Amino acid sequence: MSDYKLVYFDGQGRGEIIRLIFAAAEVAYEDERIPMDKWPQLKASTPMGGLPLLETQGQQLFQSLAISRFLARKFGLAGKSELDQVRVDIVVDTIEDIIVPIRRFWHLETDEQRKVALRNVYLEETLPNYLNNLEAILKSNGNGDGFFVGDGVTWADLFFLCLVSRFELQVKITDPLEKYPKLKALYDRVKRVTGVAKYLSTRKESAF
Amino acid sequence: MSDYKLTYFDGLGLGELIRLIFVQADVSFKDVRIDDKDWDTIKPTVTYGVLPTLETEGQTFFQSIAIARYLARKFGLAGKTELENFKADIVIDTFEDAYKPISAYYRFEDGDKRKEELKNDYVNEILPRFLGTLEKLLKSNKNGDEYFVGDSLTWADLHIVDFVPRVERLVKIKVPLENYPKLKNLYERVSSQPKIADWIAKRADSWF
Repeated sequence: MSDYKLVYFDGQGRGEIIRLIFAAAEVAYEDERIPMDKWPQLKASTPMGGLPLLETQGQQLFQSLAISRFLARKFGLAGKSELDQVRVDIVVDTIEDIIVPIRRFWHLETDEQRKVALRNVYLEETLPNYLNNLEAILKSNGNGDGFFVGDGVTWADLFFLCLVSRFELQVKITDPLEKYPKLKALYDRVKRVTGVAKYLSTRKESAF
Repeated sequence: MSDYKLTYFDGLGLGELIRLIFVQADVSFKDVRIDDKDWDTIKPTVTYGVLPTLETEGQTFFQSIAIARYLARKFGLAGKTELENFKADIVIDTFEDAYKPISAYYRFEDGDKRKEELKNDYVNEILPRFLGTLEKLLKSNKNGDEYFVGDSLTWADLHIVDFVPRVERLVKIKVPLENYPKLKNLYERVSSQPKIADWIAKRADSWF
């Protein structure tokens, strides 16, 4: 029996970063996926009415990024020094800032016209600013031909994979990294990291 | 001369939690406040075009929560074990999630029906839900009579002294802490510590 159980829906969403961390660290865990029709009954019994949840050491813990940081630190994927750790957190928070507006127009906006308008503002203004920053951060680490921070993969690089998935599944942009050669190369590089490659080769398609 | 220089606007916003950490830890810092009207001139000189920034160790960092976590860890205000660090992160992320929906309606003009609707949603549903979760989190540690995490004050406890006035200034409501007795008690205890009380007394009124 594993020391860890992840509970999330059957898709990537907010759970995938945790799965990628377990994969890169090559640590076993129970990957429980809740079907949407079972969720209403389960919801009331969760600490905050949401998923993902991590069950470990007899406790049920929530907040996907807090869970991710805890596991990444445990598995040596969070940066090797205090300064590297803050650099990793900066990249993660920047990626999260890119994702939050997607949730807003993907999930929350129901008016079709407004949804399209929000998506256009996002693609023309918001996203280029953020991707420029990410490319600059990458380039500031040894010219950008390695990983975001330090000299090895960290969960910041894994979270970048989640971002690209969101582009594909939710924003539906083809070739979102076209103008960002270093980020594009990083994307390919992270997918080839041993545990990650193994995990991706068996990952099923999902709507989110 | 201080080892730390914080640059932000002259209000609470994304800078106040960082300031509170310095104050609680009794560590001196340069507290630079930019005037709104100077921002367009200054912006091109700021590394990633956003504030707050922290200059330390010869480098510039951004992303307010990443900065806050780095300092909290450095100054022993982040919990005493990895699990406590994690629990503090959960509380911080919950406060942050409680704040985010405000920007969803803030971008609408006053008088726009959507702004009214979204603001009412926030005040009547979203905020109480999050306060309920925070009360539950607090109660899960020693019945809520001490701190959010472990047996001493962490940056998770400091965040309430930042969250409450920020919401009150921006949303122009009184946060109904009387419905959440443990949170109310924590808020009063943290606010009345000498260093924090002194800082709060000297705070200027700002709209954010």
